[in-house]
Amino acid sequence: MPTKNSLDYAYYPGCSLHASAGEYDLSTRKLFKALGIGLTEVPDWFCCGATPAHNVDELLSLSLCAKNLELAEQVEGDLAVACAACFSRLKFTQHTLEENSTKRKQVETAIDAPVKLDGKVKHLLEILARDLGLERLAASVKKPLSGLKVACYYGCLLTRPPDVPNLDCIEAPTIMEDVLGAVGAETVAWSHRMECCGANFTLSRPGVVIQLTNAILESAKAAGADCVMVGCPLCHGNLDIRQKEIEGVYKTTYNMPVFYLTQLVGLAAGLSADQLGLDALIVNPLPLLKEKHLL
Amino acid sequence: MSRIGVFICHCGENISRTVDVERVAAQVGKLPGVAFSTDYKYMCSDPGQNLLKKAIQEQKLSHIVVAACSPRMHERTFRKAVEAAGLNPFLCEMANIREHCSWVHEDKEEATAKAIEIVGMMVERVKKNRVLPTITVPVTKRSLVIGGGIAGIQAALDIADCGHEVILVEREPSIGGHMAQLSETFPTLDCSQCIMTPKMVDVANHPKITLYTWSEVELVEGYIGNFQVTIRRKARSVDEDKCTGCGVCMEKCPIKKIPNKFDCNLGMRPAIYVPFPQAVPNTPVIDRANCTKFKTGKCGLCQKVCGPGAIDYEQEDTLVVEPVGAIVVATGFDLYTIDEKPKGSAIKGYGEFGHGKIPDVIDGMTFERLASASGPTGGKILRPSDGKEPKQIVFIQCIGSRAREKGISYCSKVCCMYTAKHTMLYHHKVHDGQAYVFFMDARTPGKNYDEFWRRSIEEEEAVYIRGMVSRLYQKGDKIVVMGSDIAVGVQVEIEADMVVLATAVQPQKGADSLAQKLGISYDKYNFYSEAHAKLRPVECATAGIYLAGACQGPKDIPDAVSQASAAAAKVMTLFAKDKLEREPIVARVKEGGCVGCFACKKVCAYGAVEEKEIRDRQGNLIKVVAYVNPGVCGGCGTCQATCPSKSVELDGYTDEQIVAMIEAL
Repeated sequence: MPTKNSLDYAYYPGCSLHASAGEYDLSTRKLFKALGIGLTEVPDWFCCGATPAHNVDELLSLSLCAKNLELAEQVEGDLAVACAACFSRLKFTQHTLEENSTKRKQVETAIDAPVKLDGKVKHLLEILARDLGLERLAASVKKPLSGLKVACYYGCLLTRPPDVPNLDCIEAPTIMEDVLGAVGAETVAWSHRMECCGANFTLSRPGVVIQLTNAILESAKAAGADCVMVGCPLCHGNLDIRQKEIEGVYKTTYNMPVFYLTQLVGLAAGLSADQLGLDALIVNPLPLLKEKHLL
Repeated sequence: MSRIGVFICHCGENISRTVDVERVAAQVGKLPGVAFSTDYKYMCSDPGQNLLKKAIQEQKLSHIVVAACSPRMHERTFRKAVEAAGLNPFLCEMANIREHCSWVHEDKEEATAKAIEIVGMMVERVKKNRVLPTITVPVTKRSLVIGGGIAGIQAALDIADCGHEVILVEREPSIGGHMAQLSETFPTLDCSQCIMTPKMVDVANHPKITLYTWSEVELVEGYIGNFQVTIRRKARSVDEDKCTGCGVCMEKCPIKKIPNKFDCNLGMRPAIYVPFPQAVPNTPVIDRANCTKFKTGKCGLCQKVCGPGAIDYEQEDTLVVEPVGAIVVATGFDLYTIDEKPKGSAIKGYGEFGHGKIPDVIDGMTFERLASASGPTGGKILRPSDGKEPKQIVFIQCIGSRAREKGISYCSKVCCMYTAKHTMLYHHKVHDGQAYVFFMDARTPGKNYDEFWRRSIEEEEAVYIRGMVSRLYQKGDKIVVMGSDIAVGVQVEIEADMVVLATAVQPQKGADSLAQKLGISYDKYNFYSEAHAKLRPVECATAGIYLAGACQGPKDIPDAVSQASAAAAKVMTLFAKDKLEREPIVARVKEGGCVGCFACKKVCAYGAVEEKEIRDRQGNLIKVVAYVNPGVCGGCGTCQATCPSKSVELDGYTDEQIVAMIEAL
């Protein structure tokens, strides 16, 4: 796949990255700087509606994203998105408004502006694996993650539904494994990499989330993984913040650090624990990284 | 001066409801050259045709226009009637005032005006029609059958029993096809081998059948009645005339661990092998890619032990040219492999089912081999991973089939029945086991088919769950199958020991390239297309080529056998006459104008254009011009449209005729 020469992007962090997933934002900015990829934050961006809005009001959820897409037009370059939920909603909006002219007109009335759908929305994984390219990514490695066994966790939103995000094969994606392979980590084959973690039910139905998330952690552990890598703040919250609670409910021990993709790739690029916000993780990753001589 | 007769048909009320047929007859009767015009309720009926014949004789008509339905419907009927009355049939044309006029309009005034115009055009056209002599071509009364599965075998036996020679070509080392792999067959549970192998022996012993196994069709030239087929006989490395089939070479071969494709890679075979013990011919083949002798030059054990001296390492591929008059294509099917997405294929993968990754997830054909008495486990149902007997087995139907979003929208037709059969075979062999089936619908149309399916539930204790599986994964030595039961409205999770996927039926790999060699059409899935879905289901649009079996679409054994016999009957119909009559709608080169650029040759889809030298009386070459072989020409007219000097004309569709029609408007 041809890689891109100009690597400047408009950047849509999304609300989580300004709150609970601050370390995802921090590590993204540091990593992209280290790799020579330009990120300019979209001026005046606001919430995409995430998982709640489209359940309540379709027009609202489409309009929130359409307005953000319009704002992103002010910045040169494709739109880089870190959060899988934002990525899904923005892509879904583009897809829906392209297919349905009636909804498009309604949205245009709501945001009082013409809808622009030409701009490309890209998840950070695409930028690393395709625009920068695996070869250049591999060349940037200062500290290969050799010996680290990672369970790549895609969750539900990165590849689904069919024909919308078009990030990778919807049932058997490999983009996370490709990226980690390029930076020298070992990825494990496991059964639950595409299961749902329960997402924002973490607040309203924690029992459901604990059950789902336990199955994911159990499967990752059975496959021999040292840690899990994610590309979504919601998945991260459920796997990392809830982990102690899950261990209590199921009377088991996982002690399974959960990294953002930018943290692991950043580690390989030679960034420090502070630059990557590793101290913000609830399951302490430092003993594991020290054991593997990565810190 | 032409004396044209125009005959307007009412088609019951189909035409006369919207077209004032009497007015049309009166109006066109006034056109110059029209000597007679009339209308009749059913022109195609016996009295209608008699009216036409009588008018030709009484009115001394020279050209005929029948204004009725589409020429695709009745052109042949009226041309026959015209011929019976003593006129050349190609002096009769049809004006389509039904499909092109009455059926698509409501206003009677406008439709009548349009009908008058349509008939007027055909009147002007028919004035330019020439007498065309019928073309006759000789028929070679030998036939080629491609594919030695049950369909090819049946067609070959039927044709040969009728006394005509048959060349049967099979790509694999043995005939038998997929049916030879099956354990027992629905709906009677008789053993596949028991009913198949005698037919295979009949083929081998038939004096009228020449069997070429381990061979492929390389090139097809010619046309109906006169094909020249080049067949590549791949080097077997074993002399078929000398080999007695004793099998000592296979016993002694030191390479023993090559996965046997016939056993779906469950069993092993040596490098010199027959795919299964009942193979026909019982002559081994050396698999050169895996043979030590071919890889390193050492070994040669099989040659040393072969009593009759049949092993020949020097053997090379040979090409045989066979003249045949008809071809039956019976190349069969293959199963969709879901562990890999074929390159460039529109068909998307099925990563969620773990086939190819989880060893105990197998496809239906693999289950057949496990259940077969001659299979790798001797008929015991055992897991490929650890050889244990599965106590919980899940069958999943419609894998690939009826999944538009995955790229295949058709129903594979045989899976409902063979899955029902599998549950029975399983129940007969594993008495304490439980079979579950996930299904969308049970499609069991066929004699005694639904009864068979009901029996699997009512007597053989299979649990049918209506709903699809969302995914499955390995957990320890179990396979967790997650699906929905839409009848009850709950999610189901089954911890299975083995999973059998009823994967879609697809045409054989390479079906498209064979179709291109034969010049026959195929659909987007590479299934071969019949000439007419209902009325010509065993003939290709390309004359002289017939279809049998699953190469045309998914079929079970009774359907494949029926179609094979039908294809054989079509071949015998062709062979019933010594000469074949062809419509003379072929292209003709006006040699005076031809400059020999051969643009026509490049565009001809039938390979009908040849180069012809024109010499003077002393034998000096004057020029080289194009020549269209009338036996091969398909009458498509592409050459006429391409020729820069307007030197090719398609008889029956000349520029003069077309221009006359346009000018009449």
